Amino acid sequence: MDDKGSPGSSLHGVRGKEQTFAFSVAFDPTIASDITTKFALPVDSEHKAKVFNIFSLENPHMRTFHLSWISFFTCFVSTFAAAPFVPIIRDDLNLTKSDIGNAGIASVSGSIFSRLVMGVACDMVGPRYACAFILMLTAPSVFCMYFVSSAGGYIVVRFMIGFSLATFVSCQYWMSTMFNGKIIGLVNGTAAGWGNMGGGATQLLMPLLFALIRRVGATPFVAWRIAFFIPGFLHVFMGLLVLALGQDLPDGNLGPLQKRGDIAKDKFSKVLWYAITNYRTWIFFLLYGMSLGVELTTDNVIAEYFFDRFNLKLHMAGIIAATFGLANIVARPFGGVMSDIAARRFGMRGRLWNLWILQTVGGVFCICLGRSNTLPLSILSMVLFSIGAQAACGATFGIIPFISRRSLGVISGLTGAGGNFGSGLTQLLFFTHSKFSKATGISLMGIMIIALTLPVMLVHFPQWGSMFLPPTKDMTKRNEEYYYCSEWNEEEKQKGMHQGSLNFAENSRSERGNRVMMSQIQL
Amino acid sequence: MEMELPGFSFIVFLLLSCFATSSQGAISFSSLQRTRILTTSPSQGQVLKAGEDKITVTWSYNTTYQQATDSSYKRIKVKLCYAPISQVDRVWRKILDSLEKDKTCQFKIVAKPYSLSNNCFTWTTERDIPTTTYIVRAYSYNSAGKEVAFGQSTDAHKTINLFEIRATSGCHTIIDIAAACLSAFSTVSLFGFFYLEKRKAKSIQQK
Repeated sequence: MDDKGSPGSSLHGVRGKEQTFAFSVAFDPTIASDITTKFALPVDSEHKAKVFNIFSLENPHMRTFHLSWISFFTCFVSTFAAAPFVPIIRDDLNLTKSDIGNAGIASVSGSIFSRLVMGVACDMVGPRYACAFILMLTAPSVFCMYFVSSAGGYIVVRFMIGFSLATFVSCQYWMSTMFNGKIIGLVNGTAAGWGNMGGGATQLLMPLLFALIRRVGATPFVAWRIAFFIPGFLHVFMGLLVLALGQDLPDGNLGPLQKRGDIAKDKFSKVLWYAITNYRTWIFFLLYGMSLGVELTTDNVIAEYFFDRFNLKLHMAGIIAATFGLANIVARPFGGVMSDIAARRFGMRGRLWNLWILQTVGGVFCICLGRSNTLPLSILSMVLFSIGAQAACGATFGIIPFISRRSLGVISGLTGAGGNFGSGLTQLLFFTHSKFSKATGISLMGIMIIALTLPVMLVHFPQWGSMFLPPTKDMTKRNEEYYYCSEWNEEEKQKGMHQGSLNFAENSRSERGNRVMMSQIQL
Repeated sequence: MEMELPGFSFIVFLLLSCFATSSQGAISFSSLQRTRILTTSPSQGQVLKAGEDKITVTWSYNTTYQQATDSSYKRIKVKLCYAPISQVDRVWRKILDSLEKDKTCQFKIVAKPYSLSNNCFTWTTERDIPTTTYIVRAYSYNSAGKEVAFGQSTDAHKTINLFEIRATSGCHTIIDIAAACLSAFSTVSLFGFFYLEKRKAKSIQQK
């Protein structure tokens, strides 16, 4: 027995083996831990992980994280694999500027549709099958690039490969099922950022593959086609890994859980209805087009821009273009982290302000990029533009999981589709027709970003407020349970189908922000 | 085949030579005199296979000019150039008057020291020549390496004697088969997996 106050007694009980995590809510008393389960990481009442340990492969949370982001990365690599080759492909297939522009639009338009379908699929059959399906069914179109012999064929194949960008939705959805809301900004941002990085990695990888294949003896016009086999292999490999090692939810796969009755099977029409009647869905459809959309557009045009404007060699233009996409490795998680940090003090209002600031700053540097006449200034503007736009993407998905609990998949899908729609639109308006130069197009795109980011000011949550308005004064509507359970009617509540939403509502109370919670305690 | 210098082009050259660039070195195309006569073997509309077919170029001095004009010529370069139709809507093949920036002629056929007697060269088209329509042009250079005159295988508007070069597809049967097999494997293994899992789930339920 120790006497109180004797030397060393204050350290009794401390084992010195506590794991410290850079980002964790494991010791947050406002989130109750579920200690009856056998997970390696601490979890909340929905069995979602409360800590994010990047270097772990534990099943199911971190393993899901790694499977998700690598699948998404693979799809980005294959979708933008043609971009660094455009100077060669345009000679091989005798393409015009319009053909190149149309192919760029096609590469991002396919996934407008596929992201919507993916959102539905995640809600209905689970993210594991949804992800594996899209990976393995788009693999043949990647291999088909080898056979392309005309402008039309080139456009069609890029369109079909573009379907694979739907893995974004399964990635974000999967993260939302596995990780707690307080760290969701960081987790979603990291997973999507590392996936988006594929758009930059491909600008380095494909020219490298091209050089290797040429060294073996192939002519340029054959080498670029063979290079596409590598992304194709990756598709198949990742698809098989996801099927073998992944699971939909912390407790298991969706099918067996639904059969056991642990999770209610929901009706598609209801899920869709609550997604499309929520006005916030459409504002984010627009907003994401101005962060992810412009990022995809830039992935498609930036290599050719540097090649033509500053007369750089192909591999040099590829390296510079790559840095744009590679900035995602930190920029997008940064946006997510900033969102989480802002939320700690200011709640959802902080998240909204954070998004507006980051996206507008991105727009400003986009204008600078178009107006820069020297190479160093151009590169600097490009890097700052990439950080702004990509951080805004991360910040967006720090907010999306809170718009709806029932229709998370469809809303994620619609937002993702909005991103691609924005990309198709900006490519069509600014980079397909010869009315103005690429440089002018880039500046105009920057102005469009700033203008179309303003609607974020209209997003209002009754329980948390908006950028300029506080939460509603009506006390019945001013709680999380009211908001999330309003998606279920009385009959469904009778059956207890809303239990998941109730759990989520409790876990989302942190979005009130410390400032509000402190003032409530003082009252 | 003698080709006469069209009168109005001569006037155009005179007018445009007023805008010739300064001694900094950028020569403008319009300042050059067309003192070469060029003939090429492909006829109008002929399609050549890149890497296999040959072009024979013959060039000689245009005797409508005085003999003394060519005393400064030291070197001649014959180039393969894009025809106007290949440059439509393609900024990377833009026609510009400044020869430094002009992107019309991007492929060298032959470069030789200048000689007075009639000259001839047979060139095998390279395998990575882009698939499109072409003309042939020759530039004469002075001792400082600057262009001083030119000749081309077509008229001033580049409407006759245009020929096509088509790149060979380069597809090999083995790689064709590999692409097809991998695509099939991807689809079959996905549905196979799906079917096996459904069967396993059913058998567990039945137990």
